[in-house]
Amino acid sequence: MNIWQAFKMAFKSISMKKTRSFLTMLGIIIGVASVVIMVSVVQGQNRKTMEFYEKMGDNKITVYAYSYYDTNNETSQKLYDYCLTLSDLVLGITPDVELSSTIMVQYKAKTLAVNDWDNMMGGSYDWASQMHVKLGSDQYGVCNNYTLAAGREMTYLDVENANPVCVLGAGAKEALFGFTDPVGETITLNGDPFLVVGYYEPMDIEYSPEMDNLIVIPYTFNRTMNNNNTIDNYVVKARDAKSTVEAMTRLDAYLKGLFPLNEYGYSDAGSFGVNSNDSSAQAVEQQSMMQSLVLGAIAGISLLVGGIGIMNIMLVTVTERTREIGIRKAIGAERKSIITQFLIEAAVICSIGGIIGIGIGCVGTLIAGKILLGETDMLPSAVITLGAFLFSVVLGVIFGMYPAIKASGLQPVVALRAD
Amino acid sequence: MLIDIRDLYKIYNEGKESEVRALDGVSLQIDQGEFVAIVGQSGSGKSTLMNVLGCLDIPTYGEYYLDGTDVTSLSDKQLAHIRNREIGFIFQGYNLIQELNALENVTLPLIYKGVSVFEREDIAMAALERVGMAERAHHRPSEMSGGQQQRVAIARAIATHPPIIMADEPTGALDSRTGRHVLEILRDLYRSGTTILLITHDDGIAATARREVRLSDGRIISDQVQEVDWE
Repeated sequence: MNIWQAFKMAFKSISMKKTRSFLTMLGIIIGVASVVIMVSVVQGQNRKTMEFYEKMGDNKITVYAYSYYDTNNETSQKLYDYCLTLSDLVLGITPDVELSSTIMVQYKAKTLAVNDWDNMMGGSYDWASQMHVKLGSDQYGVCNNYTLAAGREMTYLDVENANPVCVLGAGAKEALFGFTDPVGETITLNGDPFLVVGYYEPMDIEYSPEMDNLIVIPYTFNRTMNNNNTIDNYVVKARDAKSTVEAMTRLDAYLKGLFPLNEYGYSDAGSFGVNSNDSSAQAVEQQSMMQSLVLGAIAGISLLVGGIGIMNIMLVTVTERTREIGIRKAIGAERKSIITQFLIEAAVICSIGGIIGIGIGCVGTLIAGKILLGETDMLPSAVITLGAFLFSVVLGVIFGMYPAIKASGLQPVVALRAD
Repeated sequence: MLIDIRDLYKIYNEGKESEVRALDGVSLQIDQGEFVAIVGQSGSGKSTLMNVLGCLDIPTYGEYYLDGTDVTSLSDKQLAHIRNREIGFIFQGYNLIQELNALENVTLPLIYKGVSVFEREDIAMAALERVGMAERAHHRPSEMSGGQQQRVAIARAIATHPPIIMADEPTGALDSRTGRHVLEILRDLYRSGTTILLITHDDGIAATARREVRLSDGRIISDQVQEVDWE
């Protein structure tokens, strides 16, 4: 008997017992589909979180340093100077302070009200289109992972001389200029003209439009536009992951020196904190890893339950077919032929079930991705899909084969006697 | 000598209290072209004898030569070969595969024999015609009467043209008229040179065989050639 014949026989047997075949498939369908959907959703969620951190930038250190006695941002200057000495670890430093007073941004006939608290009350605050005016240095873009779309960054001299220049985020550029080129144009902030020298590529981080709705002006405008408040927030960009750890240690030590602790364990001079995105990203990564493991375990259990279902039905169906095996042996079937037939039957049933399971899994993942994560085209990863598929097929084949191997080893007369 | 068994034993639960000697030292020689009825009471060991002769079961002790070959030393694969080409079985309970139609059931031994796909349907149809079941070739066993099922089973047994047909109570589940029809088919096969082994508990049927071997308690108690009216 050749393989083709065995395939025909297997298909015949499957199509003759539709209910039995369908029940066998059901276990596999449910097992594969549930694993595929669950793991995909978790992976999709993790990918989204990590994407956020990636766009925010690696090796980014956030420094908070507030001196109780500064009159003219001496700490800011000290930090800047200290970072210059760390040039082998650090790429740049910038203050990162958002202006909180009301500012009218204007370009020709267009006006954007920023922080217009009086008119924002009563539910008209639209966080998605709200602009943010930030004080930064010439290294603002580098430190915060922005890429210039056109024009240039502010220069060191722009900052030193408090030149009225600004760099726009993609959202601000679009709101004020639409699709025209803003570089070289002048906008006004509360009537004071600022020359647009460049604008950034969009970040497009979901739920974080403030990353793009951005107008950066030199931090030296702190004096005139921010009541000369003390600058307390900085972003330091390190060269790589190793430098990040080192720079954080150094900055921490330096700030400890600036704000020494008294005998009660806190500082009289100021307060500070050094954090990095890497460490939060790591924490999130660990957390999502845990999540993956837990859900993976649940999915694995459902696959196992599905597998036991497969096992049961295979054991039962082959056992009840012992008589058929006896008949086949009596009319001259070799053991090999019988085992081949049952092997192919099990493999075909499990494969069809697996493929249907993958199909349902893909559709389910699309639906779950749309509903839970708002993604329009989320599909399961090939590795998970293939893994779940192979697992159930192998399981089905093993448990489909085992009773067939046993029954085909019987003397025909014993198998014939079975009922 | 086609079939030659010497001192054959089939013992269940040997050495225990529940020991059963289904065959207790049977010796029997059957020539090619004989029509032999093996007759005995229920429990006399006649079915066991057929199972051993048909290579469906292995004897506990003894020698069995089929056409000069020592069957007891053959491998599983070689036994399957013999069951496929040398022996055709007819069972009391027909033993057709319910999911397959008559033609497919008859084709099955041809598939195992390795007959090409182009020939085997013709061969199977010819076998069905020979038992008068050609017009029901595409019916499933559940759609046929007992006599029809038995005729399909006979067609299956003769499909590979085996030199020996072994029938275990072939008429046991049939009424006397269809039973006679089945016996007529067997006689027809005998006339064309096939060796027939007919197992029955019915003395009337045994009397119609050319040779009658009587079994009791696992032993042969008589073995005689007799005149028949149908030859």
